[in-house]
Amino acid sequence: MSNVKLIAGHFLQTVWKSKVIAPVCIVWLTLVLYAVFTGYATYTRQNEIREEYQARARQSWEANPDKHPHRMAHFGSFAFRIKHPLSIFDNGMESYTGNAVFLEAHKQNTANYSEASFSTGLLRFGEISLAMLLQTVLPLILFFLGFNAIAQQRENATLKILVSQGATFKQIIWGNSIGLFAVGVAFLLPVLIGTITSIALQSTSVVDAGLFMRCAVIGIGAIVFLWIISVMAIAVSAISSTGRSALLSLLGIWLMLAIVLPKTLQAIGSYIYPAPGKTQFQAAVEADILQQGDSHNPDDVHFKKLKDSVLRANKVDSIQQLSFNYSGFIMQEGERMSAQVYNDHLQRLHTIYDRQNGVSYNAAFIDPFIGFKNITMAFSGTGFSAYRHFQQQAETYRYELAQTMNVLQMKYISNKKLSSTDKPYSIDKSNWTSFPDFSYRYQSVNEIIKQQWVALVALAAWLLLSVFLIHYIAGKAKVI
Amino acid sequence: MFKLAFYNFIRSRSVWVALVLFFAAGMVSIFIGRQFLLKQEAAILSVTRSQQEHIERNVKYIKNEFGLLMYYLQFAYIHKPAPIAALAIGQQDVNTNIQTLTVRGLEAQRYDTDLYNPYNLMTGNFDLSFVITCLFPLLIIAFNFNVLSREKEGGTWPLVKMQSLQPLRFLLQKLGIRFIVVGALLLSLLALAKMIIGIPLDGAFAAYAVLAFLYVLVWFAISFLVIVLHKSTSVNALLLLSAWVLLCLLVPGLINNYVTARYAVPEAYSTLIKQRDGYHTKWDENKDSTMQTFFRYYPEYRNYVWNKPGFNYVWFYAMQHLGDAAAREDSRAMHRKLQQRSRVSATAGLFFPATHAQLQFTHIAHTGMQQHLQYLDSTAHFHEGLRRYFYPKIFGDSAVDSEDWHRHVPVYFKAASNIQWMELMLPLLFAGAVLFGAGVLLFKRKPGLT
Repeated sequence: MSNVKLIAGHFLQTVWKSKVIAPVCIVWLTLVLYAVFTGYATYTRQNEIREEYQARARQSWEANPDKHPHRMAHFGSFAFRIKHPLSIFDNGMESYTGNAVFLEAHKQNTANYSEASFSTGLLRFGEISLAMLLQTVLPLILFFLGFNAIAQQRENATLKILVSQGATFKQIIWGNSIGLFAVGVAFLLPVLIGTITSIALQSTSVVDAGLFMRCAVIGIGAIVFLWIISVMAIAVSAISSTGRSALLSLLGIWLMLAIVLPKTLQAIGSYIYPAPGKTQFQAAVEADILQQGDSHNPDDVHFKKLKDSVLRANKVDSIQQLSFNYSGFIMQEGERMSAQVYNDHLQRLHTIYDRQNGVSYNAAFIDPFIGFKNITMAFSGTGFSAYRHFQQQAETYRYELAQTMNVLQMKYISNKKLSSTDKPYSIDKSNWTSFPDFSYRYQSVNEIIKQQWVALVALAAWLLLSVFLIHYIAGKAKVI
Repeated sequence: MFKLAFYNFIRSRSVWVALVLFFAAGMVSIFIGRQFLLKQEAAILSVTRSQQEHIERNVKYIKNEFGLLMYYLQFAYIHKPAPIAALAIGQQDVNTNIQTLTVRGLEAQRYDTDLYNPYNLMTGNFDLSFVITCLFPLLIIAFNFNVLSREKEGGTWPLVKMQSLQPLRFLLQKLGIRFIVVGALLLSLLALAKMIIGIPLDGAFAAYAVLAFLYVLVWFAISFLVIVLHKSTSVNALLLLSAWVLLCLLVPGLINNYVTARYAVPEAYSTLIKQRDGYHTKWDENKDSTMQTFFRYYPEYRNYVWNKPGFNYVWFYAMQHLGDAAAREDSRAMHRKLQQRSRVSATAGLFFPATHAQLQFTHIAHTGMQQHLQYLDSTAHFHEGLRRYFYPKIFGDSAVDSEDWHRHVPVYFKAASNIQWMELMLPLLFAGAVLFGAGVLLFKRKPGLT
């Protein structure tokens, strides 16, 4: 054990004394600061804007005078996606998801105005976030600092001396890995401090954000990830004959795991499971709705049957005699049917997306970079499921809004047709204010854990593997 | 001598492995581009077909109310990607290039996005422009990083200096050989892309090729500059890779973060809300004042009957239009903001080869932000044309049958194609010349350092 400690200490000393450590630290700190500042600025400004417009939209909703409830169903409302505070740490796929959606009766609109739709192609190189620095840049730094650890000692024959003095390969690899890992943790510190400070700086406390648990998972994930990276670097160094070949192998590994695989695997996923575009999707939805019944078609069988059964059930023989507004009832039924069809199709579409993403999710077992990224995104509330969560909430709200207006219509609007000179039917405006505004709730941490168990298990598997790797390499490595 | 050196280089197994790998990556990217194009074409075909069906069905049911029919009818306006878009997909997967618009308010429709998997968008497209801007530099680095240091570390440099009068020429010759090999790879990929995708040999394709070659040249210049610093092989690898990380990974991100943080676009949301309020509040307002405002925009429709009590379509579409009018200023402000974002990115991008190349690739392929803004702007003209065509029929309540519905097929947008050669080439030429010149100076100062 004392040998391991000695070797780790020696590794740290070498890194500390090396010429590159000062510039690397400066560059690293600059990048971290830049990421914190831009992340913080974007987060606060965006949420400020979105909350402001959510409030403005609400104001004009409430300002509506007495009117027919169906007018309000069309007036509609908006849902603005509120960013999670941890998006300062990892922006995830937020730049590619819509930020605002118009919610109205009869129609499911897309969430529009994503950051990507406001951006030039530069966005596609990737964004600088604390998570990106941790996932992409820090491994590279650790590879740079670690590639020579054992290979150089082999090159200048000090390895032989070390071994003859009684150090075993196991101890050498453990020691150097721990040393490199300690360096990694030192680099991790400013990231953690930056994240926690920028969250603590929030003027308003965020409810239900599950910040503590999320931070804990991300923090532990980061530590495990850095350990895996450190072992990788040292293991390659241990089996390479020269420092140069260790460096080249590590660069190749980095390029593969951090850049090429994430991109290609996702492309493979979307190739194997092709998803329909919007036009095909909408055509399919429309066809299904028409099959169920077309409320525009005066001769539609479904709606005719419905009318007959409603009349029979209420023991009346004309719509005028009904105790509720019939067209409100029809719209309620139409909304229910069309929403069901739409949601079925959307569910199918998302199953395809899940399959596409499944390729990347499962790839966490061959590429820890992907696994770690999935974890940070999900727990920062910026992953795929967080977006789905927003979409579902918006759709639930939309449905509630449309159906509430339909119920109001059934209750308060007469079946008697007005002549063009009559004053149109209307109901009291207090009904508008009593319908609550949209308010976004973050996903619960338990839900995220359920969705991300693959990545979590994969990272744990990598941790286990790293220990095996040390023992395996220790058995294989040669002194010369 | 040159020939010998050439054969010596290409005889190496690792060189072939690298070439095969990059060729494979290039081919994959070409097929991904082709796939993208096919998907777009399928979508266009599908929208063309469904538009026809959609019109036929609605015309069948709504026979005698032109205004109601036009409430539903959608007309497609398409920005069809050129074949070369397959080589630089750019923002085309984010921005929808099929708009289906009704004659109702435009601002509520034109920013509707496509349905997509955000994970796909986030990982980005593995297209040829990505292979060239991000991966080719790595090949160049791999070929060049030890050109000089290997000779020195292997002890052959003194021999070279003795035998050859001009070490600089020797070095350039070696780089030249590597440039020929990389250039051949690039050329063959471009030729294959042309054949597989069916890209016409036009100005755009020429510009794409020129840009790619200049970009490769710049990376040779960067390699040259690092080589002549006379550092060890490992240090060279570190320096070149740092340059790559900086130029291909960090700088674009830094620029992008700045633009995102600095230029938020709240105008988008205010457009959305003003359009809604502008239209819907008209239901509660005086009909006469609504109509007078509408006639200020379109005096030619003054004579249609609109002032009978109750609902009528002249009033309805006037209200719809006033929703757009209420949002117009904000919509314009939003476009100005987007232009500004685009300008700032492009200007910052000028100074860095990878960002400049990427923006130019998408510009050439019409998949950048500029063309999308053009497209968005032109949807307003398309929409205006639709309205002006249908307004008299709606307002006069024409017979639905009197319209020849078959002629309402999707309309295509044509982006103004202007390749600015100077803007395209100068930054790269300049960067290449400066880096190369600096390299020569450095080399001359300490050519003999062993």
